Amino acid sequence: MIEIIHQGIMTCIVDSGRYGYAAVGVPPSAALDSFAYGVLNRLLAQNGHAPALEVIGAQFSLRFHRNIICALTGARVRASLDDKPLNPWTSFSAASGSVLKVHEVTEGFRYYLGFAGSMALERVIGRFATNLECRFGGYQGRALSVGDRINIDGFNDIPWGAIPGSTIPMMKSPHRLRVTAGPEYHYFSEAAQKIFADREGRTVYDVSATINRTGIRLEGQPLTFRNDVDKSIISEGILPGTVQIPGDGLPIIMLYERTIGGYARIARVIRADLDRLAHLKPGDYVLFEIIGIDEAERLWEERQQRLASLTSPVGRLSGISPARVS
Amino acid sequence: MTVLTTTSKLNISRFGEDGIRIIFGETIDPEVHEKVRNFYFYMKSLSLPEIIDLTPSFRSCLIHFDTGRTSFVRLSSLLREKEAEALCSGHTPDPVRHDIPVHYGGPDALDMKVVCQQTGLTESDVIAIHSEVIYTVYAVGFIPGFPYMGTLDSRINVPRLETPRTRIVAGSVGIAQGQTGVYPFPSPAGWRIIGRTDVRLFNPEKEPYSLLQIGDKVKFINA
Repeated sequence: MIEIIHQGIMTCIVDSGRYGYAAVGVPPSAALDSFAYGVLNRLLAQNGHAPALEVIGAQFSLRFHRNIICALTGARVRASLDDKPLNPWTSFSAASGSVLKVHEVTEGFRYYLGFAGSMALERVIGRFATNLECRFGGYQGRALSVGDRINIDGFNDIPWGAIPGSTIPMMKSPHRLRVTAGPEYHYFSEAAQKIFADREGRTVYDVSATINRTGIRLEGQPLTFRNDVDKSIISEGILPGTVQIPGDGLPIIMLYERTIGGYARIARVIRADLDRLAHLKPGDYVLFEIIGIDEAERLWEERQQRLASLTSPVGRLSGISPARVS
Repeated sequence: MTVLTTTSKLNISRFGEDGIRIIFGETIDPEVHEKVRNFYFYMKSLSLPEIIDLTPSFRSCLIHFDTGRTSFVRLSSLLREKEAEALCSGHTPDPVRHDIPVHYGGPDALDMKVVCQQTGLTESDVIAIHSEVIYTVYAVGFIPGFPYMGTLDSRINVPRLETPRTRIVAGSVGIAQGQTGVYPFPSPAGWRIIGRTDVRLFNPEKEPYSLLQIGDKVKFINA
């Protein structure tokens, strides 16, 4: 069993996402940094859909009530297990009674904690991910808080692993997000398109305080619509990373909680840069850069190869010796 | 690259690396929507492993595909190959009719007064007009189980709120931009709220989860 001593700013259960029911409005609610989540699962010899904790903020603390192997990926944190420091993006062994503490988040925003066992949670619509807005999935459909306990069944005695520090993705501001043109890209004048994502003359946007798992609102120079178009569209399907422009002209980047949108979709963040969205926090800077679909596909292939090469096979991940704590 | 035939009726476009939009028209129109429905139910019947999700809406169907199993070009040509069947109603179920009791007015009907002011109608006029029409569910989404329904009588057609509310109660019945809908969960809301229903529109514990599916017919009853 694990017990939450402090939930940080917010902790919730995530997984690879609830797909297949978009026709009735069910969003994926997936782990926002799928690369960090993917590495986590491989470090723990889990399948690609295991539940994990997605945490925001320092002060997160958890007590182990059994011996278990865990892993920590995502945002770079200064963390300790009973005051012994933990290395980033490694698995480690925690003894019953020990306490994991995150003291500081040094780069990025969201980090992931997983276990080499089965968390005693129910699948809802096929998945463990928490739909916080509609209160289903995860742990009783809500974020975790002080005193919550989750049983962990089974114990996989797996070899420790780590990934080379140099291959941990960059997560700090400014965030350069590459995008492909969206269905309503032409709703904007050439001048507005330049302001949005041209290599020269583009706007540096600020991440506003209005961010959550649904979307990220940006602040900066508003984009003006062409005179001959409606500012809203007939509501239509959207996908993660869709950049919408509402009437006020300021971009909103949609994450994994909406299936349909009614605002002009100027662009979509390329898949290789989607994980970066997990690490945008208020006050960070964002720059968009428009690229072609072929380049976006190539960058995704590279990202997939990077994930495969880093995490296969478990236990022989790198020459780095992980923090062995017993 | 595969040459796509020009005789094809399907309007296929791309939405990022793993999205395909099939567009059936430009407006909110029952005939356009029937094509969307036929296409959606046909695609659903195929249960293709390379299709992750389908999002049908007013005038299009969005396909989210698995780039590990197919590509835009391959999936597009498959769709064109099968378009004759995809445009038929062979897999489309008959719409289900639902009568949904609504408590109009009262403390939860946050915008009833504003709607009356904007339309110059009395509350009982608004209720009579809203509960008279048999609506069609054009899309379900944004949040689980939310039905986008049309067509709203033009006499009670009002714009969305300039600034959406951050939270309204579950069951809130809203109108805006020629449409009406019901919020199944407490959620942010940009539509004008004129009533509330006790009917549960979404149950994550029980398939098919959503009370309403695209194409279904809804009549509101003044409770």
